[in-house]
Amino acid sequence: MLTAPAPTSGAAAPAAVACRELSAGYRGQRVLEGISFEIREPAIYVVLGPNGAGKTTLFRTIAGILQPQHGSVTIDGRSIEDQATRDRLHFLSHIDGLPDGLRVEETLRLYGSVEGAAEADVERVLRLLEIEPLRSRFVSELSAGQKKRVAIARIFLRERDVYLLDEPTANLDPKVAGEIRDLVLRLSRDRVVLYSSHNLFEAREIGTYVLALRSGRLSLFDRIADLRSARYVVGVRAVAGEQYLSSASRIGDYHLFELSGPNDVADLIRELEGKGVRLREVREMGNPLEDLFAD
Amino acid sequence: MLVTLRRGILAGRFYLAIGVFVSLVLTVALLRSAHGTTQFVAVFPLEVPVFASLGAMGGLMLFVGDRSKGVLEYLISYGVRPRTLFVNSLLVTLALTTVVLGSSLAVGMTGYLAAGNAISTDLENSVLGYTIPMAYASASFASVCGIIWSALSTPRAGMNTPVGLAPILGVAPPVLVLIVAEGVAKSSYYDVTVGAALGFLAVVVVLLIASSRLMDRERYLSTM
Repeated sequence: MLTAPAPTSGAAAPAAVACRELSAGYRGQRVLEGISFEIREPAIYVVLGPNGAGKTTLFRTIAGILQPQHGSVTIDGRSIEDQATRDRLHFLSHIDGLPDGLRVEETLRLYGSVEGAAEADVERVLRLLEIEPLRSRFVSELSAGQKKRVAIARIFLRERDVYLLDEPTANLDPKVAGEIRDLVLRLSRDRVVLYSSHNLFEAREIGTYVLALRSGRLSLFDRIADLRSARYVVGVRAVAGEQYLSSASRIGDYHLFELSGPNDVADLIRELEGKGVRLREVREMGNPLEDLFAD
Repeated sequence: MLVTLRRGILAGRFYLAIGVFVSLVLTVALLRSAHGTTQFVAVFPLEVPVFASLGAMGGLMLFVGDRSKGVLEYLISYGVRPRTLFVNSLLVTLALTTVVLGSSLAVGMTGYLAAGNAISTDLENSVLGYTIPMAYASASFASVCGIIWSALSTPRAGMNTPVGLAPILGVAPPVLVLIVAEGVAKSSYYDVTVGAALGFLAVVVVLLIASSRLMDRERYLSTM
């Protein structure tokens, strides 16, 4: 079983979410095979994998929507099939899950009634997600981004211990996506958040841990900060002396240099300044999470 | 449940409007025809289930729409039992059937009495023994077949889909009875119609029992 590395600070909390030898799929076909992991600390756990790797199936199984073909899912040792355990988690699907024929406010009231949220909670999330102006609009009239905000508003109706967020920022403009990430980061201070995304830069920015899926199996569970790229590439932009950089390959304004690791950056800067290059910016270009998608 | 019913009406509003409208037009036409009384007693109990079934498509459309949009899986994640979701769609179907059936019977019977007729035993037996059970049975049949079929098959768009074909499934049994009943001797009329209604109700009960085996939890999930 893969277990998250020891927390960086504080005592280890009891296991919040545990999957043991979990296999699941549809119509007899297996999508997930022998997934085992245990999550022990509040943080954002980014779930990554190529299309078809089983991310949505994993979320559905942890949420108790899909029954495991083998193995188990527990939260604090209790099966997800128990209603009391289900009441401890929120699931946000990559599909909006917004019913036809209802206005925004009615939709949130409907979900609020299922969850036992109060009228005040509906008003609070309308303000929190800045969708008050949309409250009387039919969901079917909204743009994809507006629908996503309404769908996300639902997970803030009641506080839960575990949040399963399947591509929460897909279809959102950068500003709103950033606001959602801030909300999720706040949640993760004292909650477990499993977060799937195809945006590797977002994943690196927001995640503390990564769970990588490949062909339905868990291929990696580690702290993102501890991951290292197979290739360490930095990009250099210059104010003057660009002719000395002409031998390097380029991406946009950046001249690329492959180094053996971060410790070589200072040497590279010295070398370039020695040649007469006046540097404007040096930045790491690679993302270690990209390697998880490499063949 | 009221919200679900309202959404069901909205989802199937065109079918509901067509079902109510055509049934009422036909009812009025029967009342005003030259052979009003005889024709009304012979045809009215047989035609109402056809339009009741057609008007009750909202339950099926609600289920299929909610499934494809991921609404059902959200509700399941909150702990709502899948069987409850199935039954709710069926209840919407039955409620919509009641709307068409109720409006047709109210207008038909009131018009019949207003024309100076008394409700005969023949008419009473036909309505109670055939019209009402057949209306609910054919609407439920279309709805349950459509739900199971759409859940078991690969999603596709257009008319050649369970939702596109379900109205035909619902209309076919009462139309068949209507054709057969026109050709049988008067002495066999009640046996044929009431027998068909009861037989068809039995088919629906068998389908409902089978649905609990066919519709496991994953059938409620969106395939998007």
